[in-house]
Parts: sequence; structure tokens; C-alpha cells
Amino acid sequence: MALLHVTSPHATSSQRTGALMRQVMLATLPGLAVLTWLFGWGTVINVIWAMLIAAAAEAAVLKARGKPVGLYLRDNSALVTAVLLALAIPPTAPWWLTLIGVGSAIILAKQLYGGLGMNPFNPAMVGYVLLLISFPVEMTRWLAPGAAPDLATSWQLFLDRYPGADALTGATPLDSFRTWAGDASALAAEPILQGRFAGLGWEWVNVAFLAGGLYLLWRRIITWHIPVAFLAGLGLCALPFWLYDPVRFASPLFHLFSGAAMFGAFFIATDPVSAATSRWGRLIYAALIGVLIWVIRSLGGYPDAVAFAVLLLNLAAPTIDYYTQPRTYGHDKPKRGTG
Amino acid sequence: MSETASTVDYATLTRNGLWKNNAATVQLLGLCPLLAVTGTVVNALGLGLATMAVLMASNMTVSLIRNVVTPAVRLPAFVMIIAAVVTVIEMVMQAFTFELYEILGIFIPLIVTNCAILGRADAFASKNSPAPAVYDGFIMGLGFLLVLVLLGGMREAVGEGTLFANMHLLFGDMARDWTLTLVGDYRGFLVAILPPGAFIGLGLIIAGKNVIDRWASERAKRLKAPMEKGSRRVRTTGSVS
Amino acid sequence: MSLLSLFRPARTESGRKLHDFHGGIHPPQRKTLSSEAPIRPGPLSATLVLPLNMHLGAPALPCVQVGDRVLKGQILAEASGPVSAPVHAPTSGVVRAIEPRPIQHPSGLDALCVVLDSDGEDRWTALTPCPDYRDMPRAELVARIRDAGIAGLGGAGFPTAVKVNVRDSQRIEQLIINAVECEPYITADDRLMRERAEGVIAGIQVLQHLVQPMETLVGIEDNKPEAIAAMRAAAAGTGIEIVTVPTKYPSGGEKQLIRVLTGKEVRSGGLPADVGVVCHNTGTAWALHRLVTTGEPLISRITTLTGTAFAEPGNVEVLIGTPVADLLAFGGVPQPHTGRLIMGGPMMGFSIENPLAPVVKTTNCIIAAPLSELPEPEPEQPCIRCGACAEVCPADLLPQQLYWYSKASEFDRAQHYNLMDCIECGACAYVCPSHIPLVQYYRYAKGAIRQQAAEHQKADRARERFEARTARIEREKAEKEAKRQARLEANRQKSSPATSVAAATPAADPVADLKKAVGEASSAYKAAVKIAKEAEEQGADNAADLRAEADQLKARADELKIALRDAKANAPAAVAPTAQAAPADPVADLKKAVGEASSAYKAAVKAAKEAEEQGADNAADLRAEADQLKARADELKIALRDAKASAPAPTRPAPASPAPAAPPAVSLSTAPESPTAQANAEDEASAEAERAKRAQRMKALKTAFNMSHKQWKEASAALERAERDGLPDVDTHRARVDKLKKKADLAKAQLNELVEAAKADMKASTGTDLKTLKLQAARAESTVREKTAALATAREAGDEERINVLQQELAAAEQQALETARTLKQAVAEQGLSDGDDA
Repeated sequence: MALLHVTSPHATSSQRTGALMRQVMLATLPGLAVLTWLFGWGTVINVIWAMLIAAAAEAAVLKARGKPVGLYLRDNSALVTAVLLALAIPPTAPWWLTLIGVGSAIILAKQLYGGLGMNPFNPAMVGYVLLLISFPVEMTRWLAPGAAPDLATSWQLFLDRYPGADALTGATPLDSFRTWAGDASALAAEPILQGRFAGLGWEWVNVAFLAGGLYLLWRRIITWHIPVAFLAGLGLCALPFWLYDPVRFASPLFHLFSGAAMFGAFFIATDPVSAATSRWGRLIYAALIGVLIWVIRSLGGYPDAVAFAVLLLNLAAPTIDYYTQPRTYGHDKPKRGTG
Repeated sequence: MSETASTVDYATLTRNGLWKNNAATVQLLGLCPLLAVTGTVVNALGLGLATMAVLMASNMTVSLIRNVVTPAVRLPAFVMIIAAVVTVIEMVMQAFTFELYEILGIFIPLIVTNCAILGRADAFASKNSPAPAVYDGFIMGLGFLLVLVLLGGMREAVGEGTLFANMHLLFGDMARDWTLTLVGDYRGFLVAILPPGAFIGLGLIIAGKNVIDRWASERAKRLKAPMEKGSRRVRTTGSVS
Repeated sequence: MSLLSLFRPARTESGRKLHDFHGGIHPPQRKTLSSEAPIRPGPLSATLVLPLNMHLGAPALPCVQVGDRVLKGQILAEASGPVSAPVHAPTSGVVRAIEPRPIQHPSGLDALCVVLDSDGEDRWTALTPCPDYRDMPRAELVARIRDAGIAGLGGAGFPTAVKVNVRDSQRIEQLIINAVECEPYITADDRLMRERAEGVIAGIQVLQHLVQPMETLVGIEDNKPEAIAAMRAAAAGTGIEIVTVPTKYPSGGEKQLIRVLTGKEVRSGGLPADVGVVCHNTGTAWALHRLVTTGEPLISRITTLTGTAFAEPGNVEVLIGTPVADLLAFGGVPQPHTGRLIMGGPMMGFSIENPLAPVVKTTNCIIAAPLSELPEPEPEQPCIRCGACAEVCPADLLPQQLYWYSKASEFDRAQHYNLMDCIECGACAYVCPSHIPLVQYYRYAKGAIRQQAAEHQKADRARERFEARTARIEREKAEKEAKRQARLEANRQKSSPATSVAAATPAADPVADLKKAVGEASSAYKAAVKIAKEAEEQGADNAADLRAEADQLKARADELKIALRDAKANAPAAVAPTAQAAPADPVADLKKAVGEASSAYKAAVKAAKEAEEQGADNAADLRAEADQLKARADELKIALRDAKASAPAPTRPAPASPAPAAPPAVSLSTAPESPTAQANAEDEASAEAERAKRAQRMKALKTAFNMSHKQWKEASAALERAERDGLPDVDTHRARVDKLKKKADLAKAQLNELVEAAKADMKASTGTDLKTLKLQAARAESTVREKTAALATAREAGDEERINVLQQELAAAEQQALETARTLKQAVAEQGLSDGDDA
């Protein structure tokens, strides 16, 4: 009898890493759709281009490392990194911007550390930050919502051949608020800040990402700890300051629905490899991210702070894990440290 | 016990200083100035030359006084010597290459803290006569300088798209047209100029050196292997033939 | 911890509050495959294999022999030790063998089994039921249970007799019957409860009687409504509470079930009895019921045969020891079966490769699943740190960290994360999206840790033994020392009058007096010996008397010698000036003392040897004395070495000249005495003793020669240096060099003499000389080699005859080689020669 001699358990759930990642990418579709509606085809082009680069870069490095390329590409983690990064950068991004960003995310931030599961930092955020500090002009060239360029223009922008790119730029809500904070009349005059409950157009982007995130929660791809703690940290930190001075500090609703807040809560911070692992650890990790985002947005030098906050907390995740181990059955107290 | 001049192997010194025991890529010493000032070739070259000069001068001085200094106070004595030499070099730069002096700023006096200099003083100069000590200082400094210039070149090329820009700061007016523009109308890749680019660049240089070393050793093994085959008999069965 | 449980605390119908444990999974149940058919009796196999280690604890010891005819229910192997259980014959037949056979273990290794050939008649042995167990003394009931071989049928196999033997000090609050059966596929307990609920309840009552709990709970999962109904009906009025627990894997784990039903947690490394809980399995209760009603021992159990490969899946009452292959045939599994063959459930069972492995007391399920049902495992991918494993772990561990550290073999860290609390339920590996075989890593780490602990224990014990031994030796040494002191005192009393008598000359020095006395006594003895020998040769009458006299004089001489040694040893400073005119140099003194101590020791050894040969009474004492003197000599040698080390070059040239001469001189001076002093009646003994002496002398001479040679070399070097540097004292150097050379040459000459004498002696005694012996040995060796080579070629050629012949020849040649080598060694050792002494 040719019997299979393997170890228990003999039954496994049908969950697969590749399928998990695919679900994550699916969940970004609502956000992608809204971005396209508001800003044109730039984001879609970026997403497709980024996915191509990511697959190629990962395959190249795996080959150089002597690993089986097919097996490792199947887990779709490179594609997810690419999608997340492409969604984070402006739709007017030229092709080389995405190339450098995705390339460094995959190669520097992921493969050089040992591949999937070994990177201490969120690769998409590393790529984003690298681009942000290297090409501040291109990375802040957002469009005004509603004035979406057509496909041809988007394509020209992508190929970096559109001469009037700067004429198209519009500020984001967070940009505007930073500029005019403290000046109530100016704030009231800014069109971008006149959305229903947050920045114009951008609020729907965040709602779309929230929908995608809820889908992930429902499918149990992610647990509730990180998104809830993230949003709670951000909102509850903004609340007292807004109550104190609503002209200088934005409302919690504004913070929660502008920039990459929802995107970060459900898609970025939940990256399992770089986040904390224990239950309490995740709560603390995400809450601190939320707090840090508010701090950098309101008091720091950058309009949107999700990337920096996530990277900083990635640094702290091992220490958080150190102190938040669960109490094992049969023991009195939870252990600390690694023994 | 101090070696006599005749017993110093200059070939080994050279090989070690430039490759096998390179101050920057193997000993990983003096990384602070290395990472901070290698944004362009001229900065890197300037600091590299300054460090080399300091190394040679301090090595020579330490070697001259090696028999007078007692072991108990040798390290403070060396540090004092190095500090004096660095002060001299700083003043020289201030006099003759003022703009470069201003660009490099604090990193010239910080050459004192470069562990490579104290390390060579203690490990070699204090145990050898002046001539080999000076040579050791020169070759170690040269190794350091080469890494500096390489990293500076990389960062300048990737970050600004040029090479040898502003060389007149070091070499005077005749060097004004030495600038090579690699990419016309380069947008600039800021991260290469900023500290992260330095770390990544140095990491790549060290990785490259390790790859070359490994390739060289494998090649050597492959070349040696056929000769070794016949030199030893290995018994693989129980019977003695 | 589901969100809903926060809002709706789980309660049973009876109002009992249910708790929850962390984690858990909900795999597809697949129980309907085997749960609808009633239990049917299993096959009667032709051969039954009964492993002796079916239970936890020591394996049973066989109490039948091969060829014995046994009846059904007869005991085949007895329990050994307190935690053990016996093994009974499941059917009547003949014991075919008691040998290692493949057994129920993932390793596939063999273990000792009783192999029974059934005769098909299924005849019972005499049974004694005990339905009035409540009136029996408790110990008797427990003994009955033990003798029936009942063990935990839930999977652990812990001997029930031990488990029910609750100590009086332990108050059991809850008796929990584990009818949860949380693993998918298994339905054995389900059917048992549906069909035989009354029996199960009766069995539970036996347990109640033994354990005396405050309450009895039966936990059943809510996916078994019929079983719950049946049990409720049967338990009506008995006080046994049937509790429904939510379906979750692994709520059937003992610790988890205790937590669910009572909210208590068993301490890590502790027992449920510590928190007042005892858990038993449903099948065990049924077995107890059978025992008290019919007296049957445990010889069969309900096993689920399931998996889509079975044509007729279901539950069978199978005899323990039935090979799995027979069950597969019984259930209609098409051959050849490819896929998985699992003994146990899909989560915690192990796959077996050899279907000849038997069903044992703990086999609750056999799964035969083709690849379509349970496909091949997917390749392991890198861990993405998703934390799903930590979410489902029922022990609230961090499987991710355990995985990292088990993989890296960092067992300390793994233990820090409480690796040993893992119950190996497999929930973590079930949910892992990267298909990492987590439980396998933990098993590996646990095994390595246990092995390390065992080795550590062994090392500890070895260390304790060693320490005890050294302590004992110290103690014995101290006792010996005390005895020696006492004897020395006694001797000193005896010899002091003799010394004063022998001191003829009015010298103030006691040492000198003793010396003279010794000399006189020795000469008197020698004379007496000579006379005695002559008398014996001539066969005179008074030969014996003369011999006795000679012995007496010898004894006297020996005593005096010992006294002299003691006196010398006690006054080394006084001895030094008499020995030489050199200034009081500590090194020289020590050297002298060493020399004297060595010779004293040698003399004492000789005396002791003699005494032993003659069987004298004081032989042991003399031997002890010799040991003491040896110890003394060693001490002095060490002191000398220290002195030399602390005072290098300057002191050496000065005593150099007399010193090397001293040891050989001393030994030479004692040597002439000894051979003659030793010349006893027996020539052989004397010759042997002579040989021994010669050997010793040669050794001493060799050392002396080496030393003087070395010193000579050094002096020559010093001379050279002096000459080169043009120092004034060149002449003194030269003189020293010459002196040393002369000394060395003298020693060498003497040594050569002795070597020649030894060789001659050897020739005389063995008929050959050293060279010949060596040649013989070498020749024998080469013969052996030749034969070995020839044998190898013959083996390669496959020539049977020649191989045999050569083997015999080889044996003979080896024997020869051994003998010659031995002779050579003996001769060399006797004569004190060495390899370099060839002329």
C-alpha cells in the first residue's frame, strides 16, 4: 500500500496565503473605483504598472537567491505591496516614480531582509517614504477632485510627457487645513474643505476604503483589533483638541475620513508581518499609530503622516510584543521578554 | 618587541590596508564621517585626503616616540598626538581650501574620533619603526579614501547625476571644468544624498566586496582541487591494497 | 472568545454556567459518515497482536510462554510497577510468539508483543463478576479494576486503577465524564451512548462510588442530540448531570473541558486532582460496567471505522489486538489503499505505514481516506506572522514564537514561551495559511528538551557518584595515616634500645650510630646467610636452624635500616653536612632527602614483598609502611620541584655535580646490599628479585644518566657562551663541564653493564636474546598481515573453501603473533630493557 506517512493534523483549513492576499487586493477595489471616478485613470495605470514591476523584481531577486520562483510568487505578497503603494501615491505619478518605489519596496525592504515574513518594516510604506523624501515635488502633485483628466492625459502624465503637469495640481484637504489652520475665514473659503463631513471628494475615498475594510473583517482576513484601535486612537486623540480649538485643530471626523486614514487602518497597519502579534500588543500598536498620525498631522511637518507613523511603530512592535504576551492556560501571570 | 625594518612585509601591508583589512568595509571604522560627507566626490576626496594625512603624520609621530611612552599612558598620549595633528590639518584646510573647509564643517575635527587612526597607532605604529608606520598610515588612509570616493561617486551620480562637480574647491580653478554630467536635466534622487542613501550605498559596497571575496576563494578552490586529488589516498573499503 | 459570548453568557438548561476557553476551531465534522449505523461486532482475526505497552506507564511483563494455550479473558502479561496495567487474551487460542512486532506508533518501530493465534472457538475463562461492589472494600475493588487491565480509553491510556485511587486528603469536587468527542470523524462514544446508555451510567456510578465526588457531570457536545437524550433518560434520578457544551474543537481536551464545565484551570504541570477534578472517558465507564456485571477484563472496545475508502463505515466492537489490515478488509476498503491510513482522529491521530499494526486499548478510530478526501499536505511556506495560530490556541500560547524557536533549536526560549503546555491539538497547524506543520516542530522541540533533561540527570548522578568516591578515598587515606602513625610510635619504642646497644663507638650523633648498627647487622646477616646456604648444600642438620638465624638477623637488619631512615628523615639538616661539604642549600637538601626517601621506600617494598612471599604476619603492615614511605618520597619530590622552580639557574650549577651522582650513588650503594641481602634460599625467587632489582637500577641509572647528560650539555653551552663573551671564569666552566661529562660517562657505563647483564640473563632464562625475540614478533605480525590480505582476495573471489582455510590459518597466525608479542613484552619488562637497548 502506498500510504501517505505524514504528521498530524491531517485536516487543514482551506485558507491559503495566496488566497488571503487576493482577498486583500479585492477589498481595495471600492477605493480604487472612487479614486478613478475622482482623479481619472492615473491610479489604475499605476496599479497595473506597479504589479508588473513587483512581480518582475521579486522573481529576479528570488532567482538570484536560488529559491523556487513559482512557489514564492504564488503567495501574492509582492502584488499586494505593489497595489498598496500604487494606491498611496498620486495619480499623476510618472512611470519611473512607481518603478523606483516598488523596486525599493520589494528589493530593499522585503527581499534583502530575507523575503516574506522576515521584513521588520512595512515594504509599501518604506517605498512610499523613500519616494516622498526623494521626490517631494512629484509626490505632492495631487489633482483637484472632480476635474479628472481623461485617459490620454493620464497616459501622458504617466509617461512623464505632460508639460503642464503643475497646472493640474490641487491641494488635498489635509494640505489645505495645514495651510489655513487658525484662520477661520480662510478655512471656510477653501473649496476642498467643504465636503459633507470631511474633505471634498476625499471623504468618499475613505468611505470606500472603509467598506473594503469591513469586507475583510467579515471574511475574517483581518481581526478587529488593529483597525478599531487605529481609528479610536486617531479619533480620540483629535477629539479634545478639536473641542478646545476647532479652528486650529481639525475634527475627529475630518481626521478619520481624510488622507490615508481608512486606508491605513484596514490595509497598511494590518500587514501581519510588521505589526505586533499578541492581542493586546495589536491594540497598543494600532492606537499608538493613530495618536502619532494626529501628532504629525497637526504638529509636524508633513501633511499626511500614516507612512511615518506606521514605520515608527514597526520599530516598536517587538518591544510591544515583549510586554504583551498572553497568559498561558495553567499559569498565573503572563511572561515577559523572550527568556 | 619591535620588529626591525627588514622584517616588515610591505606587500602584506598593502594588501591588508587596501582590501583585506580595509578600514571602512572590513573594520567598519570611521563610518560617521563616511556616511555624512560622501554626498559628492569632492567632499569625499577632501575628507579622505585629510584623514590620510592625519594617519601618516600620527603614525610617524607615534612610531618615533614608541620607546619612550610607557604602556600605562600610551592611549592618552596617542590621542593627544592625533588631536594635535588634526588641528594642524584643520588649520591647513582652513588656509588653503576654505570653502571645502566650510562644507565639511565639523567633520574635520571629528577625524580625531575616527577609530581607524587610533587603532592603527596602537596596533601598528607603536610597534614598528617610522618608515613602515608611515607606509601603513598611507595605505590605510588610501584604502579609506578609496571607499570614500567610491561611495561619494555613487551618491553623486545617482543623487545629482554628475561626477566631480565642484572639484575646484579642492584643486583650485584649473579643476572647474572637470565636472562630468552623466544625465542631462537630471531631476535628482534626493534619497541618495540624504543619510539613508549613504547607508544603503555602503551596504551595497560591503556586499559587493564580500561577493568578490567569495568568488575569488571559490575560484582558488576550484583551481587547487585537481592537484589535490592525487596527493592523498583515501581508503574506501576494508581491504588493504 | 467570541464576541457574542460577551453578551450572552452560556448557560445550560439546568442553569449551570458554562465557561469558555480561548481559541478553538470548527473543522467540518464528517460524523454522519459513521454515526448512523449501529455498533456491529468486529471480526475475529486469525492472529492477534497484543503490545505490552498499550497504556501509560511501565510495559506489562508477560506471564505466559510460547506455545501456551489460553482462554478468552485470561491474563497474558502482568502489570509491572505501580503505574501499569495487565494485558488479557481477547480470544482463546495458542500463544505463537512473544517478540517485537510493528505497533501503533508514528515512528513505525517495533515493540514487544504477545502474538496469539486464535482457535476460533472464543472460549471464555472463568469470570467472577462483582455486582455488589459497593460492599467490597475499596482496595479490593481497585485491585479488581487493575487486574482487569482497564485503562483510559479516550486516548491517553492512563491505568484507571491508579486514577481512581484518590488519596483521602484529596477532596474531589467534580467527577467529569468526557463524552465530548470533539474530533471530526469519530463517533464511537456517540453510538455507545445512544445504544448502551444504561450501562454507561452504571459504570459512572462505579466511578462515583470510588471517587466520592460532590457532583458528577457528563459533558456532551451539542452535535449529538440523540446521545444526549439517551443519556438524560438513563441518568434520570441518579444525580448524574448531563451537560451540553457548544461544539468546538478541542473542548474534549481534559484541561479545556474542566475549564468549560467548572471554570477551574489545572496548573501547568499539575494534575486535575489538584483542583479537585477527576476526568474519565465514556468508554472507560462502559468497561467498568462490564467488569462489575460480568467480570470481563478489558479485551474489546468500540472503534470507529470511517473515511470514504471504507465501503461500510461505522462503529465496530473490535477485539484488542486485531491488526488494522483485518479491519480494513472487514470494512471493505479496496486494496491497494493509497492515501492516508490514520489511527485516531484527523487532528491528533497519527498516520501508520504498516497496516499490520494492531488496534490497542486507546484506538478510538481508524480513518482510511483517499487523496480526494484528505489530500497531500501543501508545501510549507514562510510564516507571514498573521497570528491566526495564536487566535485558535486553546492553551493560549503563542505558537508563532514557539515555531521560530523550535525551528532554531533555541529550546530555552521555547520553554520560556511555555512549550510544554502545548497539548498538541493541531488547531494552530489547521489554520496556518502557510501550511507550516507546527505541531511537528513542537514535538521535535519537546523531544529534544526531554532528552537534554535526561542527560542532565545522568550527568548529575555521575557527578554525585564521583564525589562520594573521592570522599571515601580521602577517608580511607586518613585512616591509614592514623594507623601508620600509631605503628611508627610502636616501632620507635622497639628500635631505640637496639640502636643504643649497636652503637659501639661513643659517637654523639644518633644517625651515625644507627648507620654503624645497620652496617654491622647487615654484615652479620650476610655471613649467616652464607653459612646457612653452605649448610643446606651440604645437607647439614643445622641447616634449618642456621636458616632461621639468618632470617632473624635479616629482620633485625631491616628494622635497623628503617629506624635509620626515620632518623635521617627526621633530621635532614644534620644529615646534609655529613653527606657533603657544600653549604646548606635547600635544593641540595631536598634532593638528598628525596634520594633517601626513595631508597627507603624501595627497601621497604622489598621487605614487604619478601614478607608476603614468606607469608609473614606483618606483611600487610610492611606493605602499608611501604605505601607511606612512597607518599613521603612523592611529597619530597614535589617539594624539591617547587624549590627548584623558585630558585632556578644560580642554584643549579652548584649542587649539580654532587647531585646527579647522589641518586645513582645512593641506589648503587644500596644496590650491592640488596642483591646479597635478598639472596634467599630459593634461587628462582632470588633470580626474579635480582631481575627486578636490576630493572629498577637500570631505570634509576637511565634517569641519572639523562640528568647528568642534560646538565653536561647546559654546562657546555655555558662554557661556549663564556668563551665567546670572553668571560674570566672560563676555566671553572670547563672544569665543570669535564666533571659532568665524567659523571655522565660513568652512569652510561654502569647502565651499559647492567643492560648487558640483563641481556645475558634473558638469554640464559629464555634461551633467546632480545633481538631474536623482536624478530620473532615481527615475523608473526607480517604473517598475520599476509593472511589477512589473502583472505580479502579470497573473499572477493568468492572461493568458499579457500576462505575457510584462510580463516583458520589467520586465526592461528594471530595467536602466534599474540604470543610472541607477549613474550617479548614480558622479557623486556622483566629485564627493564627498552626498545632502545639494542646493541
